[in-house]
Amino acid sequence: MRNKYIENFEKAQTAEKNIPDFRAGDTVRLAVTIKEGSKTRTQNYEGVCIALHGEGTGATMTVRKIGANSVGIERIFPIYSDSITDIKVIRRGRVRRAKLFYLRDLAGKKARIKELRK
Amino acid sequence: MEYIVEKIGMSRTITVPAKPVTLLRVVEAKVCEVTDGVAIVAYNSGKKMNKTIEGQQKKYNLSAEFNRFVTLSVANSEAGDLDLAPLSEAKIIKSSFNTKGRGFTGVMKRWNFGGGPAAHGHRFHRTGGSIGNAEWPGRVMKGRKMAGHHGNSKNSVKNEILSFDAENGVLAVVGSVSGPNGSLGRVKVVK
Repeated sequence: MRNKYIENFEKAQTAEKNIPDFRAGDTVRLAVTIKEGSKTRTQNYEGVCIALHGEGTGATMTVRKIGANSVGIERIFPIYSDSITDIKVIRRGRVRRAKLFYLRDLAGKKARIKELRK
Repeated sequence: MEYIVEKIGMSRTITVPAKPVTLLRVVEAKVCEVTDGVAIVAYNSGKKMNKTIEGQQKKYNLSAEFNRFVTLSVANSEAGDLDLAPLSEAKIIKSSFNTKGRGFTGVMKRWNFGGGPAAHGHRFHRTGGSIGNAEWPGRVMKGRKMAGHHGNSKNSVKNEILSFDAENGVLAVVGSVSGPNGSLGRVKVVK
């Protein structure tokens, strides 16, 4: 159980954030603001969320995608950070664990995740 | 203005760049007696009780839980609840806490000595080594860094105030303060 004062402090910050409900296995698209010198721009990053870590303002997610030359790319994002302007859930996956690190060892068709059907 | 506070723990903000935040709870306190802005203040800590404390409580009409007394500079002009108003306008505080006690500690941890190589027949690992010359001066110089008790000493840092929640008495300051969570310390309004 977390301390109630810490929880209140963090809730006040995260309350206005509109974060969709998602879990490991879901395909998400993030809008990440990037600052280059004096310019800021938004870059989209799309991939499979393979793990959620932590709670409160420090919560993070690991998003994996396959980049050019089929090189796996994993980035860890702080979910509530102001640098993440938007999170969209594109596809819900049917998975049986909370951390999908096994995807790192799989390639091609084996690395697919079935879509969740209700 | 000074206050007795309890270190609650640390958190962070979601701004870019994120700031590390320490939460401090202002301990409920009663001003007993004020002379020129300096007051005897009673607060609660633990269950310590003896006849001296009982006598003081009777003198100042305090309830039984206020069993500790300190001298603080306060904003109050008369006895009553401690005035928290200066904290909402304050920008920088100086927070003094006791650091975590580390017990009897060797020189590598206490004074950052380098130590020696670990293997290949070395016999100089973590010991302090030589502590001075020989017949002259025939004594160890004062201030020699040696093993001994480390930690549990007062440490003060200046912190910027991020926010103050007057309802719960929770002060959020940027950066860290010394000591374990739950320990009591003193906060002084600097600016």
